[in-house]
Amino acid sequence: MIDIRGVSKSYGPKIAVQGLDLHVPAGELFAFLGPNGAGKTTTIKMLCGLLFPTQGSVRVGGFDLFADGDQARTLISYVPDQPFLYEKLTGREFLQFTADLYAMPSGKASDKIDEVIELFHLDDFVDDLTERYSHGMRQRTVFAAALVHEPKLLIADEPTVGLDPKSIRELKTLLRRLAASGTTVFLSTHTLDIAQELADRIGIIDHGRLLGCGTMRDLQKLASSDGNLEDLFLKITEEAATEPEPAVSGLVG
Amino acid sequence: MTAELPAQLPGLADQAGVFRRLRTRLLRNGLRVALDHGRTRLITMLASSVFVFAFTFAVGLYLFTQLAKANVPFKGAIVEALFDLMFFTLGSMLVFSTGLILFASLFNSPESRYLLCSPARADRIFATKFQAAVAFSSWGFVILGIPVFLAFGIVSGVPWYFYALLPAFLLGYVLLPGSVSATLCLLLARYMPQNRKQVLIVVALVMVVVASIWMYRVGIGLKKTFNTGGRELDELIGRFDMLRSGFAPSHWMTRGVMAAARDDLRGALIPLAQVWSNGLVLYVLAAWVARRVYRTAYDRIAGGGRGKKVYGTHFLDRVMETLVFYLDKRTRVLVVKDFRTFRRDPTQWAVLILFGILMLFGASNFRQYYSAGLAVMDRYAVSLMNLSGTAIMLCAGLSRFVFPLISLEGRKFWVLGLTPLSRDQILWGKFVFAATGALVIGELLILVSDALLGLPWQGMLLHAIIMAVVAVGLAGLNVGLGAYLPTFKETDPSKIVVGFGGTVNMVAGLGFLVMIIGLMAVPLHTAQLARGAANVDKAVSLWVYAGVPIGVLLGVVAVVLSLRFGARSLRGMEF
Repeated sequence: MIDIRGVSKSYGPKIAVQGLDLHVPAGELFAFLGPNGAGKTTTIKMLCGLLFPTQGSVRVGGFDLFADGDQARTLISYVPDQPFLYEKLTGREFLQFTADLYAMPSGKASDKIDEVIELFHLDDFVDDLTERYSHGMRQRTVFAAALVHEPKLLIADEPTVGLDPKSIRELKTLLRRLAASGTTVFLSTHTLDIAQELADRIGIIDHGRLLGCGTMRDLQKLASSDGNLEDLFLKITEEAATEPEPAVSGLVG
Repeated sequence: MTAELPAQLPGLADQAGVFRRLRTRLLRNGLRVALDHGRTRLITMLASSVFVFAFTFAVGLYLFTQLAKANVPFKGAIVEALFDLMFFTLGSMLVFSTGLILFASLFNSPESRYLLCSPARADRIFATKFQAAVAFSSWGFVILGIPVFLAFGIVSGVPWYFYALLPAFLLGYVLLPGSVSATLCLLLARYMPQNRKQVLIVVALVMVVVASIWMYRVGIGLKKTFNTGGRELDELIGRFDMLRSGFAPSHWMTRGVMAAARDDLRGALIPLAQVWSNGLVLYVLAAWVARRVYRTAYDRIAGGGRGKKVYGTHFLDRVMETLVFYLDKRTRVLVVKDFRTFRRDPTQWAVLILFGILMLFGASNFRQYYSAGLAVMDRYAVSLMNLSGTAIMLCAGLSRFVFPLISLEGRKFWVLGLTPLSRDQILWGKFVFAATGALVIGELLILVSDALLGLPWQGMLLHAIIMAVVAVGLAGLNVGLGAYLPTFKETDPSKIVVGFGGTVNMVAGLGFLVMIIGLMAVPLHTAQLARGAANVDKAVSLWVYAGVPIGVLLGVVAVVLSLRFGARSLRGMEF
């Protein structure tokens, strides 16, 4: 589903991502980890077609984000860390707008809207204007809108921020269920427990370079450690900080 | 080649319909909220608009009546030249204002970011943003344009369809500068080299200076014409050659409006069609450009210009700190913070510099005129114009840059809220910053221009006092009302200014200016003008200064009341 080849991205003189190669197949839940400023958000923005690589190519579902971006974006849903909602729309109207934008047939859209309202427990406030929502309510509404059109790829940047423990539990179950049903989930997070618990594979990025990528076992092998993800993450990023070149090659991709 | 075959795609949406429904819902819900919870705000905003409309109408009526007294033919060359000038000026202003609003909403707004991640087409996103930007930047043009032409129609006697065609002309015309501005904005964002901001500002300044000098020359020509019986009419008309060509949209407008006024319907409809068809073609061209370059331009804006510039303390920061030496250290820090933000944004101070240069340039030219014995304009009339111009510039500048200060703290307000400073100190700091800046700029401009005009010291002293009242009073109004009527959800200052609070503030500021200048300056200037006209040598009566203490008192009341209301609102604010 995701095919990133030789991607580099520069902001003026600053290189945010360099030489990134990554392939994520359909139905995989992939966790993308890295310290602040490592290049995670830039990579995500390139995956959504918001930014374009300085070098290399990004494809989603076989469509190049630069050449066929409009087609690629019909397959993608993006839940940013700071969710956007139209303040003067109700939650239901926002869901309807999203369904219309993705050209869903009206009958199907109506059913899906009811389904996601129930799934994210929006009933109590879905007909209020979103300007009155708390952060958690906004986050749940944005998630509902992201899933209303049944995307092939769900990209979520820090999805648990602002959610209560019950909602986090439900979100984790939902993400696993989505992956099991064939949706690719690309998750960027600092919450390492969630990544360890949910992800099929984990990628660690720092200073724009992919330091390691694979299953927990692969990462343990790479770090020569049997520790949990927190130990592995710290070890890999600290080791990479002392090395001039990328730490690994065999496990990347 | 790809490793995977492209996935199956959902159908294409009727995106125009989707966005139309979105706008309708947003408008309907917004109106409902305004009627349910903000009726007072809505009524005040409507009342403010009616006030501006009525004021413009009254001024227009007065000016056209003066033209009638001067036996200037209403449907002849001079009025045509005036309309050419007006349409050209407003069109140029619309190019800049639409461009600035559009740039912010295309490249910096969360909505654009959200839509760019969706399958919404680039030209569709552009169209939505374009309509909003044109509406925001043009409402003033329509609100100010219609009363001027209504006044013209009433004084000159025009057929009924003149009034019916007016909205069509004005609405069609805003498309032209809007589309040109949008195309330029997109192309510059896409192809401009690094440090584009500086290049853009320089280009804009050069264009404004050239246009202003030209308009100034036209203004001199007009005044000469009215004062010398029309001998310089040919010379004046000659200055409009560029605008009178068949390629100038401002002249299409003039031709159409004048034809309607002369009861020539066919002659009015052809330019109207010209305005609309060209406007629509340019809009389609802008949308086509957006389709091709918007996404890559966004990428460039998001990814460019992050060189490692080292920011540090500037000597101007130390000057500002010295100017407010009487404040305690913590409030001084706040003042310097606001000043630093101001000086690091060239778009803010560039306009002030430009206005100052033009005014001083104008003052020195007028001096040459009456030194050469032309006596075209009395120095008191010119200095009153300078005083009013400076006051209006301060009013517009403070409304644009000071009124939104509290609103812009927005969701970051807790940063200030948690500091050991009291809320009153925060407000006081902003007031001192605004008042100091306005005083320095206002006094400098008015005293130098008065000196260039050779005004006697009594006049200069009076102007200095008036400018102090205006600067401090406006600073108080802007800071106080900014805290009393904040808009925390809006991040774009230009939209905060045209919102409810901004409109109330602007109207309050203009009302304050009319009262202060009317009370403190007009009596002396009128007496001096009458003295000049009667050619008598007698000194003016001291009664002309009777309004001075009242004006000072009014200034104090404006500052105290505004800051008190603002402080009370700020103290009760939750974050």
